[in-house]
Amino acid sequence: MSDNKRLGMVIDQERCIGCEACSIACKVENNTVDYWIKVETQGGTEKDTPGGRFPDLAMDFLPKLCNHCENPPCVDSCPEDALQKRSDGIVILNQELCSGCQACLTACPYNVIIFDKNKNLAEKCHFCAHRVDQGLEPFCVICCEGQAIHFGDLNDPNSVVSKLISGKNTFQLKTEEGTNPSVYYSPPRLKKRL
Amino acid sequence: MEKSEDIRLIRTACPAHCGIDCCGILAHVKGDRIVKLEPADFPDEKDRRICLRGLTSLDITYHPDRIKYPMRRVGERGEGKFERISWEEAYDIIVSKFKEISEKYGWKSIGWVLGGPGAGTTKFGAYLRLASLTQSTRVSAWGYGDAGLPCGSRIILGHQFPYMHLHGEFWQRKYPELLMVWATNPAEAMPLQNMRKLMDAKEIGTQVIVVDPRFTVTASKADEYIGLYPGTDSALALGIMNVIFQNDLHDKEFILEYTNGPLLVRTDTGKMLRGKDFEAKKPEAYVVWDKPSNSYKTLSRSNAKEASLNGTYAINGIECKPVLQLLMDLASEYTPEKTAEITGVDKELIIKLAKRIANSKKVTFLTHMGFTRTYHGDISLRGVISVAAITGNITTKVSSGYMPATLNWNPFLKAIPDKPSFHRIGILNLYDAVISGNPYPIKALWFAFINFLNQCANSNKIIKEFYPSLEFIVQTELFMTPSARYADLILPVCSFLEFSDFMAQPYPNVQLQQKVIEPLYESKSDVTIVSELAERLGYAEFFKGGEEGLIDLIMANRTFKGITRETLKTQAVLLPSLPEGASFPLSFRTPSGKIELYAEQLYEDGEALPVYLPPIEAPITPGEKKYPLTLINGHSRFRTHSMFANVQSLLDLNPEPLVDINPIDAEKRNIATNDYVTIFNDRARTTLKARVTEGVKPGVLDLTEGWWIEQFKEGSLNHLTHDIINPVQDKVYEPNMHMNDVAVEITKSEGVKK
Repeated sequence: MSDNKRLGMVIDQERCIGCEACSIACKVENNTVDYWIKVETQGGTEKDTPGGRFPDLAMDFLPKLCNHCENPPCVDSCPEDALQKRSDGIVILNQELCSGCQACLTACPYNVIIFDKNKNLAEKCHFCAHRVDQGLEPFCVICCEGQAIHFGDLNDPNSVVSKLISGKNTFQLKTEEGTNPSVYYSPPRLKKRL
Repeated sequence: MEKSEDIRLIRTACPAHCGIDCCGILAHVKGDRIVKLEPADFPDEKDRRICLRGLTSLDITYHPDRIKYPMRRVGERGEGKFERISWEEAYDIIVSKFKEISEKYGWKSIGWVLGGPGAGTTKFGAYLRLASLTQSTRVSAWGYGDAGLPCGSRIILGHQFPYMHLHGEFWQRKYPELLMVWATNPAEAMPLQNMRKLMDAKEIGTQVIVVDPRFTVTASKADEYIGLYPGTDSALALGIMNVIFQNDLHDKEFILEYTNGPLLVRTDTGKMLRGKDFEAKKPEAYVVWDKPSNSYKTLSRSNAKEASLNGTYAINGIECKPVLQLLMDLASEYTPEKTAEITGVDKELIIKLAKRIANSKKVTFLTHMGFTRTYHGDISLRGVISVAAITGNITTKVSSGYMPATLNWNPFLKAIPDKPSFHRIGILNLYDAVISGNPYPIKALWFAFINFLNQCANSNKIIKEFYPSLEFIVQTELFMTPSARYADLILPVCSFLEFSDFMAQPYPNVQLQQKVIEPLYESKSDVTIVSELAERLGYAEFFKGGEEGLIDLIMANRTFKGITRETLKTQAVLLPSLPEGASFPLSFRTPSGKIELYAEQLYEDGEALPVYLPPIEAPITPGEKKYPLTLINGHSRFRTHSMFANVQSLLDLNPEPLVDINPIDAEKRNIATNDYVTIFNDRARTTLKARVTEGVKPGVLDLTEGWWIEQFKEGSLNHLTHDIINPVQDKVYEPNMHMNDVAVEITKSEGVKK
């Protein structure tokens, strides 16, 4: 594993159809208590509903998961050192060390760490590290119906993700937190109205 | 983590009948248990795919509620009381019942009701073969929503489906300047075969328009959304044609060459003018007005391009007009103002849309079954195809890409070539056959891969009149569905991971749905069940080799040359490519051999042109009727029809039925999101939760189809729908159920426990 890797994602909102195959895929692959990746609807107040007035409407989807931040506040917050940032950029949570104190849940500005009340343990997305270590992509990536999730090394200028970031108007969530997320979003394109 | 050496990988394909999807699935097997499913490779990396339902397939295979052994009814029909029996007992009961009924009423009175054929080939074919051998009745299931599109397509194009003419090129990833997505929601209904391509097209600059009464996920991806009232699509089509004709933007060359636009029609009889009308040498020949000679001539290759498309002519004292003139006369009534009033679409938007369609170099019309589930939905399709035809946007030849797959259906449709085969009846005609013996009595039904009660129109009629008229009901099922409760005998079938079948999908791929594990419990595949029954009826020789034998039989066509069951075990294979430089014309199997903008055989029905006829029930002018709202039913990504409705991992995300209602309609009735509401009409009352959303047009309620009856507090979707037969569809092909043409009222339901 190269030391200067920074594994990350670019999620293309233009291609996300909000199907939640990513949520199901992740749950099946990682046998999780709750969804590590959740799809938020941007539009109406209810899930899967648009904003605006009929027929002038808009609806987009924003899948949210651990951002594998460059400066992850969760890692600093954990008194047991259960959270670590790997050299390839993946932030992992070692449940064997977790005491269930939930400090990480408070520290994370993105509300993407899950707490399993029954086991008294925290859990979160690890970019399917078990797959990545075998040279495979995270399971949500290969199960994405819209082919909206791209995965790769943000430090490699020739990777698909790097090219997407340099070519498109991508953004990260809550940049004001200084976390520098490794999950980037490419916003929906402007409509070509009639 | 599982050790990889313990895991066997088996390639199969998901036959969940998502229209035309059919994802390749790689199953991970440990011992005799499947531990994981993932998307399998395809020749084109872009086709590697799985959907959220496919991902939960193991929850079906290993569902605790699976029917595990054959069962005989011991309580009343519908009560759900059954006792376990052996397969031997089950076959004995069937054979003796069939004997008794066939002796009394003939084999014709025994019917096979089979669900969507897209869900498999040999499992469908096996039943057809047995029906053919016994000369019993095949009940066609096209009419439970899918017959309207073939009706329209047969009339105007002469084909069961319009796809190759409308979007065959789109399926080959040749993308147009403008994509008109009309009455279909591929984002949820065909995410992989159609939606991915839609987004690929957008990436290279295609402008996308969506026409739909609901603001669907597909609509959210569109550059422009056209929200019309359900059942008014043909009015919109005429309004678009009005603008195109007014501005002289129609493609005359295309109309002359490929449509019946130039052919003269007698205004007195509505029939095509023929040679015999003026004693020409060719009595049956069509007639055109030849511009160079300013006279009429029987149609020939030489004068076809010089024919007039306009005007009124007197020929032997008979007043005649070219078809296109008749269409222009009709369209002239649909001014943007009038069209806006009928459809509820902004007038200026209609004008802009029409001009954009006419001025685009290439437009692809992507459509499917949604709008054909209104009473006049067959005409809606003809309207859309007419717009495509007058702007030259119908594909008329194939010059590259892959051959279409042709399955060897003959041995299934006609098991013994020189003997009569099965009788055929449409599923909506079945109601009358069972209840009134018209056109002939049906006394026993075998249901396979169909949740009849849940998915067919007018549930109360089925429960109170249809089922009680039957002497014997068999159902092959995985679960105790609402339909299975009414069976006399339930036979446990396998999930798709427990048997083999052949899939010539998704185009242009061919796949094997390969058995991954042995059938669980005492379940058997439909093919095995049919084969074992056939043996007891004396037809064993026609089912030699079981599933694999039938797969080899259905693949016996030259389109699969070089492709075998063996090669498909590890990969999907592409159909043969067309030879370089080849160009095949795509025929139109209509009476004139052209795209029929005018269908003379429907003149007496008032439907020779793609006229706008209001929905039969749906009120498009809200507020004037007893039931002022239109109920429609879209498809949900959480189910394929009624499949997956009992899968917990999907219910976690989408726990119960919801009806979508616009805030304008909700406010009038004091309805808020999460309130329980009752939808009602003269047929039934249905109680469920409401979701107030701008995503549905005012005056329209949307309740996605497929929820099981017991998942409602009261009633169900199809308790509200009707079984009215459209006689024109009955005549042309087979009548369709019109689940998107239903009038209802809705009220807040007090006192329902949340």
